[in-house]
Amino acid sequence: MENVIINVFNIVGTPFGVEADDGQKVFNLVHKAFSEKKKVILSFLNIEILTTAFLNTAVGQLYKDFTEAEIKGNLEVKDITNPGAVALKRVVDTAKLYYKDPGAMEKSINEILD
Amino acid sequence: MELSTLSSIRNTTTSYQQLASLYKQHSDDLFDNVHIEIKGWFSANMASALGAVLDKLTEGLNSIVFTHIDSGIQQILRKNDFLTYYGYSRAVDNHSTTIRYMKLKPTDGKFFSQYVTTELLNRSELPKISAALKEKMTEAIYEIFVNAQIHSKTSYIYTCGQFYPSKNRIEFTITDTGIGFKTKINERFGKNLSAVQAIKWAVQDRNTTKIGVTGGIGLPILREFIVRNKGLMQIVSDDGFYEYSHLGEKEYTMSAKFPGTVVNLQFCTDDHASYLLASEVNVNNIF
Repeated sequence: MENVIINVFNIVGTPFGVEADDGQKVFNLVHKAFSEKKKVILSFLNIEILTTAFLNTAVGQLYKDFTEAEIKGNLEVKDITNPGAVALKRVVDTAKLYYKDPGAMEKSINEILD
Repeated sequence: MELSTLSSIRNTTTSYQQLASLYKQHSDDLFDNVHIEIKGWFSANMASALGAVLDKLTEGLNSIVFTHIDSGIQQILRKNDFLTYYGYSRAVDNHSTTIRYMKLKPTDGKFFSQYVTTELLNRSELPKISAALKEKMTEAIYEIFVNAQIHSKTSYIYTCGQFYPSKNRIEFTITDTGIGFKTKINERFGKNLSAVQAIKWAVQDRNTTKIGVTGGIGLPILREFIVRNKGLMQIVSDDGFYEYSHLGEKEYTMSAKFPGTVVNLQFCTDDHASYLLASEVNVNNIF
Protein backbone atom coordinates (compact mmCIF):
# COMPACT_ATOMS: atom_id res chain seq x y z
CA MET A 1 0.00 0.00 0.00
CA GLU A 2 1.36 3.42 -0.98
CA ASN A 3 2.13 6.05 1.66
CA VAL A 4 0.70 9.56 1.49
CA ILE A 5 2.26 12.29 3.60
CA ILE A 6 -0.19 14.92 4.81
CA ASN A 7 1.57 18.01 6.09
CA VAL A 8 -0.66 19.64 8.71
CA PHE A 9 1.23 22.95 8.65
CA ASN A 10 0.56 23.26 4.94
CA ILE A 11 -3.17 22.83 5.53
CA VAL A 12 -3.46 25.09 8.55
CA GLY A 13 -0.99 27.73 7.38
CA THR A 14 0.17 28.65 10.90
CA PRO A 15 1.90 26.87 13.83
CA PHE A 16 -1.51 26.65 15.53
CA GLY A 17 -3.57 23.54 14.89
CA VAL A 18 -6.41 24.80 17.00
CA GLU A 19 -9.64 25.41 15.08
CA ALA A 20 -12.15 22.65 14.43
CA ASP A 21 -12.66 23.86 10.85
CA ASP A 22 -8.97 23.37 10.10
CA GLY A 23 -9.19 19.92 11.66
CA GLN A 24 -12.04 19.13 9.29
CA LYS A 25 -9.78 19.92 6.31
CA VAL A 26 -7.21 17.44 7.61
CA PHE A 27 -9.92 14.86 8.22
CA ASN A 28 -11.24 15.22 4.66
CA LEU A 29 -7.80 14.50 3.23
CA VAL A 30 -7.10 11.52 5.50
CA HIS A 31 -10.57 10.15 4.78
CA LYS A 32 -10.02 10.49 1.04
CA ALA A 33 -6.65 8.73 1.25
CA PHE A 34 -8.10 5.88 3.35
CA SER A 35 -10.96 5.50 0.91
CA GLU A 36 -8.38 5.12 -1.86
CA LYS A 37 -6.64 2.42 0.22
CA LYS A 38 -3.57 4.55 0.94
CA LYS A 39 -1.54 4.61 4.13
CA VAL A 40 -1.25 8.06 5.64
CA ILE A 41 1.64 9.69 7.45
CA LEU A 42 0.32 12.74 9.26
CA SER A 43 3.19 15.15 9.78
CA PHE A 44 2.86 17.78 12.50
CA LEU A 45 6.21 19.36 11.68
CA ASN A 46 6.24 23.07 12.71
CA ILE A 47 2.91 22.79 14.50
CA GLU A 48 3.47 24.21 17.98
CA ILE A 49 0.03 24.26 19.59
CA LEU A 50 -2.76 21.72 19.19
CA THR A 51 -6.21 21.75 20.73
CA THR A 52 -8.42 18.76 21.31
CA ALA A 53 -11.10 20.49 19.21
CA PHE A 54 -8.74 20.38 16.21
CA LEU A 55 -7.67 16.79 16.91
CA ASN A 56 -11.25 15.62 17.43
CA THR A 57 -12.26 16.69 13.95
CA ALA A 58 -8.95 15.86 12.26
CA VAL A 59 -8.48 12.38 13.73
CA GLY A 60 -11.16 11.50 16.31
CA GLN A 61 -14.00 11.29 13.85
CA LEU A 62 -12.12 8.78 11.70
CA TYR A 63 -13.38 6.18 14.17
CA LYS A 64 -16.91 6.85 12.91
CA ASP A 65 -16.08 5.53 9.43
CA PHE A 66 -13.12 3.21 9.92
CA THR A 67 -12.34 0.38 12.32
CA GLU A 68 -9.65 0.58 14.97
CA ALA A 69 -7.64 -1.99 13.02
CA GLU A 70 -7.87 0.02 9.80
CA ILE A 71 -6.74 3.19 11.52
CA LYS A 72 -3.96 1.51 13.47
CA GLY A 73 -2.70 -0.18 10.31
CA ASN A 74 -2.90 2.80 7.99
CA LEU A 75 -2.25 5.95 10.01
CA GLU A 76 1.04 7.10 11.40
CA VAL A 77 1.90 10.42 13.04
CA LYS A 78 5.28 12.02 13.13
CA ASP A 79 6.96 15.23 14.30
CA ILE A 80 4.24 15.84 16.85
CA THR A 81 5.13 17.69 20.06
CA ASN A 82 4.93 15.75 23.31
CA PRO A 83 1.88 17.70 24.59
CA GLY A 84 0.33 17.22 21.16
CA ALA A 85 0.86 13.45 21.37
CA VAL A 86 -0.68 13.38 24.84
CA ALA A 87 -3.75 15.28 23.60
CA LEU A 88 -4.02 13.05 20.51
CA LYS A 89 -3.89 9.88 22.62
CA ARG A 90 -6.70 11.22 24.76
CA VAL A 91 -8.75 12.18 21.69
CA VAL A 92 -8.28 8.70 20.23
CA ASP A 93 -9.19 6.90 23.47
CA THR A 94 -12.30 9.07 23.78
CA ALA A 95 -13.30 8.51 20.15
CA LYS A 96 -13.08 4.73 20.50
CA LEU A 97 -15.47 4.84 23.45
CA TYR A 98 -17.78 7.46 21.91
CA TYR A 99 -18.53 5.53 18.76
CA LYS A 100 -18.90 2.23 20.65
CA ASP A 101 -21.56 3.66 22.97
CA PRO A 102 -23.61 6.42 21.30
CA GLY A 103 -26.03 6.49 24.25
CA ALA A 104 -23.35 7.35 26.80
CA MET A 105 -24.03 11.11 26.70
CA GLU A 106 -27.72 10.63 27.42
CA LYS A 107 -26.86 8.37 30.37
CA SER A 108 -24.43 10.89 31.84
CA ILE A 109 -27.05 13.65 31.60
CA ASN A 110 -29.52 11.46 33.48
CA GLU A 111 -26.88 10.75 36.14
CA ILE A 112 -26.38 14.46 36.82
CA LEU A 113 -30.15 14.94 37.12
CA ASP A 114 -30.49 12.06 39.61
CA MET B 1 -31.58 59.02 34.78
CA GLU B 2 -30.84 55.73 36.48
CA LEU B 3 -27.19 55.36 37.43
CA SER B 4 -25.65 51.90 37.61
CA THR B 5 -22.66 51.50 39.89
CA LEU B 6 -20.05 48.80 39.53
CA SER B 7 -18.12 48.60 42.75
CA SER B 8 -15.03 46.50 43.53
CA ILE B 9 -15.21 44.26 40.49
CA ARG B 10 -12.88 41.32 41.04
CA ASN B 11 -13.15 37.67 40.12
CA THR B 12 -15.78 36.98 42.76
CA THR B 13 -19.37 35.78 42.71
CA THR B 14 -20.57 39.22 43.83
CA SER B 15 -18.69 40.82 40.93
CA TYR B 16 -20.25 38.50 38.36
CA GLN B 17 -23.56 39.12 40.06
CA GLN B 18 -23.10 42.89 39.62
CA LEU B 19 -22.41 42.47 35.90
CA ALA B 20 -25.41 40.18 35.45
CA SER B 21 -27.57 42.66 37.38
CA LEU B 22 -26.33 45.52 35.19
CA TYR B 23 -27.58 43.60 32.18
CA LYS B 24 -30.88 42.74 33.84
CA GLN B 25 -31.44 46.36 34.87
CA HIS B 26 -31.08 47.68 31.32
CA SER B 27 -31.93 44.73 29.08
CA ASP B 28 -35.32 46.23 28.14
CA ASP B 29 -33.94 49.74 27.48
CA LEU B 30 -34.31 51.10 23.96
CA PHE B 31 -32.73 54.26 22.50
CA ASP B 32 -31.65 55.21 26.00
CA ASN B 33 -28.47 56.32 27.73
CA VAL B 34 -27.00 53.74 30.11
CA HIS B 35 -25.16 55.68 32.81
CA ILE B 36 -22.45 53.73 34.60
CA GLU B 37 -19.92 54.55 37.28
CA ILE B 38 -17.01 52.30 38.23
CA LYS B 39 -15.58 52.63 41.72
CA GLY B 40 -13.15 51.04 44.11
CA TRP B 41 -11.39 48.36 42.09
CA PHE B 42 -11.77 46.77 38.69
CA SER B 43 -9.71 43.68 37.80
CA ALA B 44 -8.54 44.44 34.28
CA ASN B 45 -9.39 41.00 32.88
CA MET B 46 -13.03 41.58 33.84
CA ALA B 47 -13.17 44.12 30.99
CA SER B 48 -13.88 41.02 28.89
CA ALA B 49 -17.14 40.34 30.76
CA LEU B 50 -18.08 44.01 31.00
CA GLY B 51 -17.49 44.56 27.28
CA ALA B 52 -19.82 41.67 26.49
CA VAL B 53 -22.59 43.04 28.73
CA LEU B 54 -22.26 46.56 27.29
CA ASP B 55 -22.42 45.23 23.74
CA LYS B 56 -25.62 43.37 24.59
CA LEU B 57 -27.07 46.64 25.89
CA THR B 58 -26.11 48.51 22.73
CA GLU B 59 -28.18 45.99 20.75
CA GLY B 60 -31.12 48.11 21.97
CA LEU B 61 -29.42 51.12 20.37
CA ASN B 62 -28.60 52.41 23.83
CA SER B 63 -25.57 54.64 24.40
CA ILE B 64 -23.07 53.76 27.10
CA VAL B 65 -22.13 56.78 29.22
CA PHE B 66 -19.44 56.44 31.87
CA THR B 67 -20.41 59.18 34.33
CA HIS B 68 -17.47 58.41 36.60
CA ILE B 69 -14.55 55.99 36.63
CA ASP B 70 -12.02 56.18 39.47
CA SER B 71 -8.75 57.52 38.04
CA GLY B 72 -6.69 54.39 38.79
CA ILE B 73 -9.28 52.18 37.12
CA GLN B 74 -9.55 54.55 34.20
CA GLN B 75 -5.79 54.36 33.70
CA ILE B 76 -5.68 50.55 33.59
CA LEU B 77 -8.74 50.33 31.30
CA ARG B 78 -7.13 52.85 28.94
CA LYS B 79 -3.87 50.89 28.99
CA ASN B 80 -5.56 47.64 28.03
CA ASP B 81 -7.58 49.34 25.25
CA PHE B 82 -11.01 48.69 26.79
CA LEU B 83 -11.95 52.36 27.12
CA THR B 84 -10.77 53.17 23.60
CA TYR B 85 -13.97 51.40 22.51
CA TYR B 86 -15.90 54.07 24.44
CA GLY B 87 -14.25 57.28 23.27
CA TYR B 88 -11.23 57.44 25.56
CA SER B 89 -7.65 57.82 24.35
CA ARG B 90 -5.18 54.98 24.79
CA ALA B 91 -2.64 55.14 27.65
CA VAL B 92 0.89 53.73 27.47
CA ASP B 93 1.54 50.62 29.55
CA ASN B 94 5.02 51.34 30.90
CA HIS B 95 5.00 48.30 33.18
CA SER B 96 3.94 45.90 30.42
CA THR B 97 1.45 44.15 32.64
CA THR B 98 -1.65 44.41 30.49
CA ILE B 99 -2.98 41.82 28.08
CA ARG B 100 -5.05 43.85 25.65
CA TYR B 101 -8.83 43.82 25.56
CA MET B 102 -9.96 42.46 22.24
CA LYS B 103 -13.29 41.89 20.56
CA LEU B 104 -13.25 39.25 17.85
CA LYS B 105 -15.72 37.56 15.58
CA PRO B 106 -15.83 33.77 16.01
CA THR B 107 -14.37 33.48 12.51
CA ASP B 108 -11.35 35.60 13.49
CA GLY B 109 -9.26 32.64 14.58
CA LYS B 110 -6.17 33.89 12.74
CA PHE B 111 -6.39 37.27 14.50
CA PHE B 112 -6.68 35.45 17.79
CA SER B 113 -3.49 33.54 16.96
CA GLN B 114 -1.66 36.81 16.37
CA TYR B 115 -3.10 38.20 19.60
CA VAL B 116 -1.97 35.21 21.66
CA THR B 117 1.47 35.31 20.07
CA THR B 118 1.94 39.03 20.69
CA GLU B 119 0.30 39.29 24.07
CA LEU B 120 1.47 36.05 25.66
CA LEU B 121 3.96 33.85 23.81
CA ASN B 122 6.41 36.51 22.65
CA ARG B 123 6.36 38.69 25.74
CA SER B 124 10.08 38.93 26.51
CA GLU B 125 9.41 40.98 29.64
CA LEU B 126 8.05 37.88 31.34
CA PRO B 127 11.25 35.95 32.00
CA LYS B 128 9.88 33.98 34.94
CA ILE B 129 7.47 31.92 32.90
CA SER B 130 8.90 28.65 31.61
CA ALA B 131 8.42 27.74 27.96
CA ALA B 132 6.43 24.64 28.93
CA LEU B 133 4.09 26.68 31.08
CA LYS B 134 3.58 29.27 28.36
CA GLU B 135 2.64 26.46 26.01
CA LYS B 136 0.19 24.95 28.49
CA MET B 137 -1.41 28.34 29.15
CA THR B 138 -1.74 28.96 25.42
CA GLU B 139 -3.35 25.56 24.91
CA ALA B 140 -5.79 26.30 27.71
CA ILE B 141 -6.72 29.68 26.30
CA TYR B 142 -7.22 28.21 22.85
CA GLU B 143 -9.45 25.43 24.16
CA ILE B 144 -11.76 28.06 25.64
CA PHE B 145 -11.70 30.27 22.54
CA VAL B 146 -12.47 27.34 20.27
CA ASN B 147 -15.27 26.17 22.59
CA ALA B 148 -16.89 29.59 22.19
CA GLN B 149 -16.38 29.38 18.42
CA ILE B 150 -17.98 25.96 18.12
CA HIS B 151 -20.74 25.98 20.71
CA SER B 152 -21.93 29.43 21.67
CA LYS B 153 -23.47 30.89 18.48
CA THR B 154 -22.10 34.23 19.67
CA SER B 155 -21.62 37.30 17.48
CA TYR B 156 -18.36 38.25 19.20
CA ILE B 157 -15.81 36.80 21.58
CA TYR B 158 -14.27 39.19 24.13
CA THR B 159 -10.84 38.53 25.62
CA CYS B 160 -8.70 40.36 28.12
CA GLY B 161 -6.03 39.58 30.68
CA GLN B 162 -3.65 41.00 33.20
CA PHE B 163 -0.26 40.09 34.64
CA TYR B 164 0.28 40.48 38.36
CA PRO B 165 4.09 40.14 38.61
CA SER B 166 4.24 40.62 42.37
CA LYS B 167 1.69 37.83 42.89
CA ASN B 168 3.18 35.60 40.15
CA ARG B 169 -0.21 35.38 38.54
CA ILE B 170 -1.89 35.85 35.17
CA GLU B 171 -5.62 36.28 34.82
CA PHE B 172 -7.17 35.70 31.41
CA THR B 173 -10.86 35.93 30.61
CA ILE B 174 -12.83 34.93 27.54
CA THR B 175 -16.48 35.92 27.26
CA ASP B 176 -19.16 35.30 24.69
CA THR B 177 -22.74 36.47 24.38
CA GLY B 178 -24.01 33.19 23.01
CA ILE B 179 -26.60 30.70 24.17
CA GLY B 180 -24.71 29.39 27.20
CA PHE B 181 -24.14 25.89 28.57
CA LYS B 182 -27.66 25.42 29.91
CA THR B 183 -29.54 26.15 26.69
CA LYS B 184 -27.02 24.29 24.56
CA ILE B 185 -27.16 21.11 26.63
CA ASN B 186 -30.90 21.18 27.30
CA GLU B 187 -31.67 21.75 23.61
CA ARG B 188 -29.36 18.92 22.59
CA PHE B 189 -30.72 16.34 25.00
CA GLY B 190 -34.26 17.62 25.65
CA LYS B 191 -33.56 17.91 29.38
CA ASN B 192 -34.00 20.59 32.02
CA LEU B 193 -30.63 21.01 33.70
CA SER B 194 -30.00 24.11 35.79
CA ALA B 195 -27.15 26.37 34.66
CA VAL B 196 -24.87 25.00 37.39
CA GLN B 197 -25.76 21.39 36.54
CA ALA B 198 -25.07 22.12 32.85
CA ILE B 199 -21.63 23.58 33.57
CA LYS B 200 -20.74 20.70 35.88
CA TRP B 201 -21.79 18.20 33.22
CA ALA B 202 -19.70 19.95 30.56
CA VAL B 203 -16.48 19.93 32.59
CA GLN B 204 -16.65 16.17 33.12
CA ASP B 205 -14.39 14.06 30.97
CA ARG B 206 -15.79 13.02 27.57
CA ASN B 207 -19.13 14.82 27.86
CA THR B 208 -20.04 16.64 24.67
CA THR B 209 -23.08 18.05 22.90
CA LYS B 210 -21.51 17.50 19.50
CA ILE B 211 -23.30 15.09 17.18
CA GLY B 212 -21.20 12.67 15.16
CA VAL B 213 -17.90 14.19 16.29
CA THR B 214 -16.15 13.34 19.52
CA GLY B 215 -15.34 15.98 22.08
CA GLY B 216 -15.63 16.84 25.72
CA ILE B 217 -11.92 16.74 26.46
CA GLY B 218 -10.86 20.39 26.38
CA LEU B 219 -12.43 21.46 29.68
CA PRO B 220 -11.34 18.32 31.62
CA ILE B 221 -7.74 18.75 30.39
CA LEU B 222 -7.93 22.38 31.45
CA ARG B 223 -9.16 21.35 34.90
CA GLU B 224 -6.25 18.93 35.30
CA PHE B 225 -3.76 21.61 34.29
CA ILE B 226 -5.33 24.11 36.69
CA VAL B 227 -4.89 21.67 39.57
CA ARG B 228 -1.22 21.02 38.78
CA ASN B 229 -0.58 24.70 38.27
CA LYS B 230 -2.47 25.63 41.46
CA GLY B 231 -4.45 28.04 39.33
CA LEU B 232 -8.17 28.67 39.16
CA MET B 233 -10.95 28.29 36.61
CA GLN B 234 -14.29 30.05 36.86
CA ILE B 235 -17.23 29.61 34.53
CA VAL B 236 -20.24 31.89 34.62
CA SER B 237 -23.07 31.05 32.28
CA ASP B 238 -26.72 32.11 32.54
CA ASP B 239 -27.32 32.23 36.30
CA GLY B 240 -24.71 29.58 37.10
CA PHE B 241 -21.31 30.13 38.69
CA TYR B 242 -18.76 27.32 38.89
CA GLU B 243 -15.21 27.50 40.20
CA TYR B 244 -12.53 24.85 40.19
CA SER B 245 -9.07 24.82 41.72
CA HIS B 246 -6.73 22.46 43.57
CA LEU B 247 -8.79 23.30 46.64
CA GLY B 248 -11.95 21.87 45.10
CA GLU B 249 -15.20 23.01 43.50
CA LYS B 250 -17.53 25.88 44.29
CA GLU B 251 -20.91 26.52 42.72
CA TYR B 252 -23.46 29.25 43.09
CA THR B 253 -26.74 30.28 41.50
CA MET B 254 -26.93 34.01 40.88
CA SER B 255 -30.12 36.07 41.15
CA ALA B 256 -29.61 37.47 37.64
CA LYS B 257 -28.57 35.85 34.39
CA PHE B 258 -25.34 36.70 32.62
CA PRO B 259 -26.12 37.14 28.90
CA GLY B 260 -23.63 34.53 27.71
CA THR B 261 -20.64 32.74 29.17
CA VAL B 262 -17.55 33.98 30.98
CA VAL B 263 -14.54 31.73 31.44
CA ASN B 264 -11.91 33.19 33.73
CA LEU B 265 -8.56 31.46 34.05
CA GLN B 266 -5.97 32.22 36.68
CA PHE B 267 -2.48 30.82 36.18
CA CYS B 268 0.44 30.72 38.62
CA THR B 269 3.49 31.94 36.71
CA ASP B 270 6.13 30.67 39.15
CA ASP B 271 5.19 27.08 38.36
CA HIS B 272 8.28 25.23 37.13
CA ALA B 273 6.68 21.82 36.76
CA SER B 274 7.95 19.95 33.74
CA TYR B 275 4.73 19.38 31.87
CA LEU B 276 6.59 17.74 29.03
CA LEU B 277 8.35 14.93 30.86
CA ALA B 278 5.44 14.03 33.10
CA SER B 279 3.25 12.83 30.30
CA GLU B 280 5.22 11.22 27.54
CA VAL B 281 3.30 9.17 25.02
CA ASN B 282 4.70 6.65 22.55
CA VAL B 283 3.59 7.95 19.14
CA ASN B 284 3.66 4.40 17.79
CA ASN B 285 1.02 3.38 20.29
CA ILE B 286 -1.58 6.10 19.90
CA PHE B 287 -4.11 4.32 17.71
